[in-house]
Amino acid sequence: MSTAEQNQTIAWKDLAEALRGRVRTQKEELVLPDWLLGWIVPVGSLVLWELLARTGVLPPNWLPAPTSVARTIYEMGAAGDLWKHVGITLARVLAGFLIGAAAGTLLGALTGYVKIARKLLDPMLQSLRSVPSIAWVPLFLLWLGIQETSKIALISLGAFFPVYLNLSVAVRDVDPKLLEIGRLYRLSTLEMIRRLILPAVLPQYIVGLRSGLGLAWMFVVAAELLGASSGIGYLMVDGQMTGRAAIILASVILFAVCGKVTDWIANVVGDTALGHRAR
Amino acid sequence: MEFPSTLSEIVSSPDNRVQGTTRSESPSPGGSLEIRIDRKTFGGSQGDLLVLQDVALAIEPGEFVCIIGGSGCGKTTLLRIIAGLETDYKGSVSVDGSPVTMPGLDRGMVFQEHRLLPWLTVHDNVAFGLAHRSREERTKKTRHYINLVGLDDFEYEYPHRLSGGMSQRVALARALAGCPEVLLLDEPFASLDALTRVRMQQELLRLWQAERTTVVLVTHDIEEAVYLADRVVVMSRQPGTIREIVPVGFVRPRERTSEDFVAVRKQILDEFFAPELVRPSALGIVD
Repeated sequence: MSTAEQNQTIAWKDLAEALRGRVRTQKEELVLPDWLLGWIVPVGSLVLWELLARTGVLPPNWLPAPTSVARTIYEMGAAGDLWKHVGITLARVLAGFLIGAAAGTLLGALTGYVKIARKLLDPMLQSLRSVPSIAWVPLFLLWLGIQETSKIALISLGAFFPVYLNLSVAVRDVDPKLLEIGRLYRLSTLEMIRRLILPAVLPQYIVGLRSGLGLAWMFVVAAELLGASSGIGYLMVDGQMTGRAAIILASVILFAVCGKVTDWIANVVGDTALGHRAR
Repeated sequence: MEFPSTLSEIVSSPDNRVQGTTRSESPSPGGSLEIRIDRKTFGGSQGDLLVLQDVALAIEPGEFVCIIGGSGCGKTTLLRIIAGLETDYKGSVSVDGSPVTMPGLDRGMVFQEHRLLPWLTVHDNVAFGLAHRSREERTKKTRHYINLVGLDDFEYEYPHRLSGGMSQRVALARALAGCPEVLLLDEPFASLDALTRVRMQQELLRLWQAERTTVVLVTHDIEEAVYLADRVVVMSRQPGTIREIVPVGFVRPRERTSEDFVAVRKQILDEFFAPELVRPSALGIVD
């Protein structure tokens, strides 16, 4: 290729690149990035809601303005009530989740690993799972009283099933072809569990724990709505009784934020445990 | 194929607890195989299926043997018996004179699928069978074999980032890292594309020449068998038995288009499509 030809090729390249560049900038002018697009509707709705509430179109005892909900949260925070209620709810979720997840782990591992245990226990647990959670409440209240025990039991029940199901299935479905690698290298039973089965089930176990945590939050709402003297759920009932919609809305937001934060923590912990492997 | 039905059965099967045949530390080249399988059946819903019958084969230390046959001829089962993964059969297999009763580090195995552990890096996969060695020795050996299969740049990658050929090389390195006397390969290149397969065959010859282990490779690719093997064992099916053993005399590296190559290929091909010989054993008459 001669120098002149080379120059010409470069010139064409420049032109092509320039054209591409212009097309790209045109696109950028027209389309906003995705994260910004996602904000338009919620922020717009908030602004509209605020305007409607301020102009008196929406009755304040029915749907108070976002700013007054925010002020309610701030005032509760300043008075210290907020931390007490959030703290007690968090403690219930955590206790219930830990108990439920522990039971789910134990029974899930057992039924996944031992065939006879699966045949004995799995049908019963599966049918118990189909009972709607709230249906247990009267029985739990009767057995365990109105205090903390019955609430934590209900939350544990919620957290139990996803952990149990995911772990049981994961252990049962460990690839026998990978286990054969363990046999080839003559791993002992304990090594087999530690080096092959545990890492193999970890991703699905983490999925189970995360949905268990999510359900623990759903069940804490149920438990606290049905008779509590503290907690975010109690705030809701209190707001309803005293006709203060701002407190109810504030409680909804508190549940959402707390649930999101714990899920985010679980996500980070899970990702750390899984490391760089394929997900 | 009969797999143990639950995990607990697989994990606690007796071969995990006791030592298998241990590798002799003598400097003399080991890896001789003595195979005599009278009968191997798999239980099925319609009675037992006879998979292997009267398979007798002696393999020299350092020899490269390819076992070739159509699907269902029991060639994989034969390899699994040598590996010690199948123990329920009539007959005996011994490595360097000691009978095989379970898997052992004297035999390395590569399957058709790479079977790498997805949660371990290339390095840790190769080191998987070296847990009982000291840390320095383990690292040194692992690096050596990763280098030997040409994957230095991928030592700390996870299997999902590797191509099929690269994964199979890691599986080879894992099998070799235990310094086995016998390398058992079950259609290791069957799932690779044609070009990668040819390259892997060349690599395998190089590894075999460097390590001088005995190699038993199961394949259904006649060209692969003729390219690699000292002897090609042709198997017939139902029941799986040895039909013919074809020595491949000419020197390596072999030219796939040479006259010798084509002649041996044709000989094996003819053997496959020759009318079935009536053998006493095939009729159930044992001499």
